[in-house]
Amino acid sequence: MVGEEEEEDEVAVPDCFRAYSETEKHWQARRAFLLRHLAADGTPAAARLDQLLALSMVWANHVFLGCSYSRDLLDKVMDMAEGITVEDSPRFTTRDELMRKYQR
Amino acid sequence: MGVPAFFRWLSRKYPSIIVNCVEERPKECNGVKIPVDTSKPNPNEVEFDNLYLDMNGIIHPCTHPEDKPAPKNEDEMMVAIFEYIDRLFNIIRPRRLLYMAIDGVAPRAKMNQQRSRRFRASKEGVEATEEKQRVRQEILAKGGILPAEEVKERFDSNCITPGTEFMDNLAKCLRYYIADRLNNDPGWKNLTVILSDASAPGEGEHKIMDYIRRQRAQPNHDPNTHHCLCGADADLIMLGLATHEPNFTIIREEFKPNKPRPCALCNQLGHEVKDCQGLPREKQGEHDQFADCPLTSEQEFIFIRLNVLREYLEKELTMASLPFTFDFERSIDDWVFMCFFVGNDFLPHLPSLEIREGAIDRLVNIYKNVVHKTGGYLTESGFVNLQRVQMIMLAVGEVEDNIFKKRKDDEENFKRRQKEKRKRMKRDQPSFIPGGQFSPQALGSGNRSNPQTISNPRQAAFEMRMQNSTPSASPNTSFTSDGTPSPAGGIKRKAEDSDSEPEPEDNIRLWEAGWKQRYYKNKFDVDASDEKFRRKVVRSYVEGLCWVLRYYYQGCASWKWFYPFHYAPFASDFEGIADLPSDFEKGTKPFRPLEQLMGVFPAASGNFLPPTWQKLMTDPESSIIDFYPEDFAIDLNGKKFAWQGVALLPFVDERRLRAALEEVYPDLTSEENRRNSLGGDLLFVGKNHSLCDFIAELYKSSTTEPVDMPPELCHGIQGKLSLNENPVLPDQVVQSPVPTLRDLAQNSAVSINFKDPQFNEDFVFKAVVLPGAKKPLPVLKPGDWEKTNNNGRPWRPQLGFNRDRQPVHLDQSAFRTLGHAMSRERGQPGSGMYSNAAPLGAYQGNPYRPLFSGQPQIPKLLSNLRPPESWRGPTPLFQQPPQRYDRSSGAAPLLAWNRMVQSQNAAFQQNQYQGVGGPMNYPQRPEDRMDRGRQGYGPGRPYPLPPPAGRYNWN
Repeated sequence: MVGEEEEEDEVAVPDCFRAYSETEKHWQARRAFLLRHLAADGTPAAARLDQLLALSMVWANHVFLGCSYSRDLLDKVMDMAEGITVEDSPRFTTRDELMRKYQR
Repeated sequence: MGVPAFFRWLSRKYPSIIVNCVEERPKECNGVKIPVDTSKPNPNEVEFDNLYLDMNGIIHPCTHPEDKPAPKNEDEMMVAIFEYIDRLFNIIRPRRLLYMAIDGVAPRAKMNQQRSRRFRASKEGVEATEEKQRVRQEILAKGGILPAEEVKERFDSNCITPGTEFMDNLAKCLRYYIADRLNNDPGWKNLTVILSDASAPGEGEHKIMDYIRRQRAQPNHDPNTHHCLCGADADLIMLGLATHEPNFTIIREEFKPNKPRPCALCNQLGHEVKDCQGLPREKQGEHDQFADCPLTSEQEFIFIRLNVLREYLEKELTMASLPFTFDFERSIDDWVFMCFFVGNDFLPHLPSLEIREGAIDRLVNIYKNVVHKTGGYLTESGFVNLQRVQMIMLAVGEVEDNIFKKRKDDEENFKRRQKEKRKRMKRDQPSFIPGGQFSPQALGSGNRSNPQTISNPRQAAFEMRMQNSTPSASPNTSFTSDGTPSPAGGIKRKAEDSDSEPEPEDNIRLWEAGWKQRYYKNKFDVDASDEKFRRKVVRSYVEGLCWVLRYYYQGCASWKWFYPFHYAPFASDFEGIADLPSDFEKGTKPFRPLEQLMGVFPAASGNFLPPTWQKLMTDPESSIIDFYPEDFAIDLNGKKFAWQGVALLPFVDERRLRAALEEVYPDLTSEENRRNSLGGDLLFVGKNHSLCDFIAELYKSSTTEPVDMPPELCHGIQGKLSLNENPVLPDQVVQSPVPTLRDLAQNSAVSINFKDPQFNEDFVFKAVVLPGAKKPLPVLKPGDWEKTNNNGRPWRPQLGFNRDRQPVHLDQSAFRTLGHAMSRERGQPGSGMYSNAAPLGAYQGNPYRPLFSGQPQIPKLLSNLRPPESWRGPTPLFQQPPQRYDRSSGAAPLLAWNRMVQSQNAAFQQNQYQGVGGPMNYPQRPEDRMDRGRQGYGPGRPYPLPPPAGRYNWN
């Protein structure tokens, strides 16, 4: 049942949500993220869709850009992304970590 | 352009472009400050017509200065800004137009840079406050004393962004300031003033360029207008060249590296917050009371003469035997274009082109080689010929490999040399350096290190000896001051080992084969095989180059375009770019101010936004929450410090931003709606201006249609005038927005909306020298000077604006007068052991007081008069009878504060002896006595108190 919906939505998640600068790898990961939650919601209202897009970006920014958000938010998106595997994700030093390193 | 190195490189390579400013200082008479009459000829021996102020370069240093304590509140900031403008005005003295431009909303292309600056600034601010707090607690816990914590809130420099209340208030204050000066300052009498505040879209310097471009394109423009543009950004030089105006000068603050900053905790110079110990300042040198206001501390200004730069460039770029006719103006445009490769605000610079490594010279050489093959110039009036650009880029690409290898070699060499130097320093170090009052002092290093009388030499020598001999006396254990044994040398070894600083990890290794793959993998997270993605990056970069050049020559081509990556591609990737489209979406609109604030602020600066807008930045349910990370990665990218690295911030999705804001727009108050609207420019004139009556008529007739400005009334300036809703009008009081400044009760200035001349959307502003423009006289030495016209005369370099400048010199009698009137010590600072007497005026707390104001000569007659206050000031050390008082205080080394008290006592008692010529007295030289008389004269002088300083009325 769930599988069927996913297949349908695969067509429904248009590539227009892909940012110009997104690499294939990043987009495929985020696409999987979107698919999974679009499926559960059926057809979301525009506002809900934007919120989902925002959450997908929060996750992608965290994984691929090294951004960090509030604990609650990060926990939430990590839960939502449970099961999506990203191969050799890049590693980053955040600004706070950098500053702490210098202080020592 | 955020490239400080660019200016340094330019001024070293082309030194004659720099001319130091001559600044006439306000004089003071009987304590009344007399403002400089700026209607008098310019002391720089040049007359400027138009002065353009890029206001953000003024607002930042006035609101959060780096080299002095910050102003206490917003009112003080405003006054500081007014004074700064006054100072500039006094130096430049424009005769026709003053154009003030504050940054309005910027094109989207700039937003990424703004975002990264503001996210960083916000974090830095918090860190600074935390550190201050931490050190403060530490000091207080140790029993230190600090000035009471000020209640003031930390000034968040992020509020210098269009749309905030601060910027709105600033515009209000500047309107008042302009009206005041038009009414009261003779230099402003015939001036036209245009104010483009933060509500008018566009970056400040580009609004100025737009104005100049549009004036040049209309027939009444005077082609020989002398422009002067104020601002420190290096791209102003490019912008100035891009106008092709023959007389263009830039004025900026002279850059002095390593200026001392006062500690943010105790406001003293000489240490940083983290080293603050809360100690009272130690007295250093005799005239120590000036240490907080060093005479040379005021920023000096320099002119950058673009006509001289044009001369240099002409020499450098002129090419013989070209397959087409050489056009110097076109080659300048190409030069400007190539400078963009090295750095600009809108694109990250190419990894192989570093200005410090002579990138521009390299580009120029490649350009000269390639231009024979290209068959023409790279650019025309701001439009790029991509086929030719590709040839240049690929030529750079060929040497890219070598550049990276050489960079690595240079780095290694530098490190090796540093290491050797450290070794040498250690080896050649003397085994013993006397400390304290015996410590060696550099020769001729000015006021602070004047020789001091040695006090208590035996004791000091004893202490040094003891200190030095302790470890050698007991080789295995040394004793710390409280007597506990500690392992010898344990601390010292550690310091030696920390020679090599931690190196940031470099996993790109551009100097090693496979660098390109590693770069794309690490920076973009794509495989080298992903040709499609690489093309995307190159395409965006090429679009960027086209956009930037257009921005400089024609104005903003698209408000929406931006470069969507954090890094640039390699020069060798620029293959097949010739047929890429270089056109932009037409009819794009700028963001509104509050929308832009949402785009560039971190959540921590959300307090500048209405509550529901602010919520969008923090609420986990918000549909744009991804724009506001709490922390972000910094890629040092080969650099050393966090602020030099690349901030990896997510890009803003404009569609989602607008959609989210649509829902909170109804929450705006009418005041916020006003701040959120886009405004235009304001024009001001005073009553003597020929345009004044014309504008007054317009207000009387209350026409609603915009009216053409009659060019003959205003030096050929054209534009449309329309009535302002809230104008400054003659005979109406102009309210002062700053409590410390008075309202203008008798105003005669007038203000009106001004709009630049409008042209067709397809109109192309030609990048040419206008007909009728006269080439300024050459400044540089002609290449054939030796062969021609010299008559045996040597070449005399030109120092200022005027070739025939008369050198000024004093004859003997003038020197005699000076020697007579000035105290000897002033003439020869620090000469001799006994030159310790404070200079004239020192005790009146005003080191700037001119010598001849007020009371010339009289003090001599009063040399014996000694007002009772005079003992209070610190007294020259030599008057202190040696030994006698020191002994009474035991053998303790003299601390700064108790030495002070002692010397006061000493002087006081000595004064009592003086009358009877007691045995303790040193023989007094007549000058000394005279000086003291003068010093004492100030506080007790019989003149009435001066009236508060103010500007005089000329009408």
